[in-house]
Amino acid sequence: MLKCTRTVITIGMAFLFAGSLFLYGCSSSPDEQQLKALQTLKDETAQLEKEVKEKEVKKSDLEKNIAEKNAKIKKCAEDQAIVKQRLAK
Amino acid sequence: MKLRNALVMIVAVVLTLSVGVATAQEMTKEQWQQEMNTLTQTRNDLQAKLKALDASISSLTSESNKLDGDYQSSLDALYALVGSDREKADAYRSELDAPEAKAADLMRLSDADLMARSSEVTDLDSKVKELWGNKLSLIPEFWDRLTALDTKVKSLKETLTKQVKVYTVGTWSKDRDCLWNISKKPDIYDNAWLWPRIWQGNRDQIKDPDIIHTGQMLKIPQGKEMNDAEKAAAKKYYHKVAARAAAAPAANPAEPAKK
Repeated sequence: MLKCTRTVITIGMAFLFAGSLFLYGCSSSPDEQQLKALQTLKDETAQLEKEVKEKEVKKSDLEKNIAEKNAKIKKCAEDQAIVKQRLAK
Repeated sequence: MKLRNALVMIVAVVLTLSVGVATAQEMTKEQWQQEMNTLTQTRNDLQAKLKALDASISSLTSESNKLDGDYQSSLDALYALVGSDREKADAYRSELDAPEAKAADLMRLSDADLMARSSEVTDLDSKVKELWGNKLSLIPEFWDRLTALDTKVKSLKETLTKQVKVYTVGTWSKDRDCLWNISKKPDIYDNAWLWPRIWQGNRDQIKDPDIIHTGQMLKIPQGKEMNDAEKAAAKKYYHKVAARAAAAPAANPAEPAKK
């Protein structure tokens, strides 16, 4: 009786293990080439994000610079008006 | 025997679990495809954004360059209004630096030290007046700097005025007033040799120390020590007198009077 029980348990375990291996082997996972393509795409996206950030900073600097130049030109026009007034006195 | 059974069971369970975990960690093809789709979309969006940014940057750079030209033209027009140009304006800008530094230097002095350097205040005042004479001073940048300088000079002069005693020159026949005699008075310096102090403190109204006029209001600088400028002026004067005496030995050299 004891021998019979042991045999049943051993066979049960063997089936369980074999079943797990079967499941693992039959699941549809991507191959190495596909994983490599995914990684390449990830790298490309990260690089693009970096470039976009840099360009946004550059654009913002340029906009600030233009605003400053416009202010200087405006000030220069105001100065001209003041000088004309002083010359007229 | 029981121990062996237990060990077999543990090994079987551990193996089964590890296979299960390995299966769970792996990505399925569906997940891979989904991630590929998401990343491709993100990449396309980023590429479009980058293209738009490049276009904006190019347009902004052109605008910025154009504004540089516009600004230079505006400046030229501004300087032309006062008959000047950028080079002259730069030179004038630099010329303002020295009096500004001098004013700041004098403002830091104590009243006594300022008194000893009163001639520098007079020089500074003349320099500021000279700078106002240039038409570039009408440009607000320079106008503002000169106005600030004027304020400082005015404040320095007020400080000096508060410390300066005033002496009204009397007549020669009655008071025997000359710089030498005035300096000798007990309520002035009580020391005739300090007369160059009075001369240098009143350079605006005394050109020749031998000539002063009745009714002149002379400022009497405080302190009984001559500064370098006063000593130099005195030395120059004595050389001049010595040369004059050598040229005309018959004249009476004794009296330093009527200074």
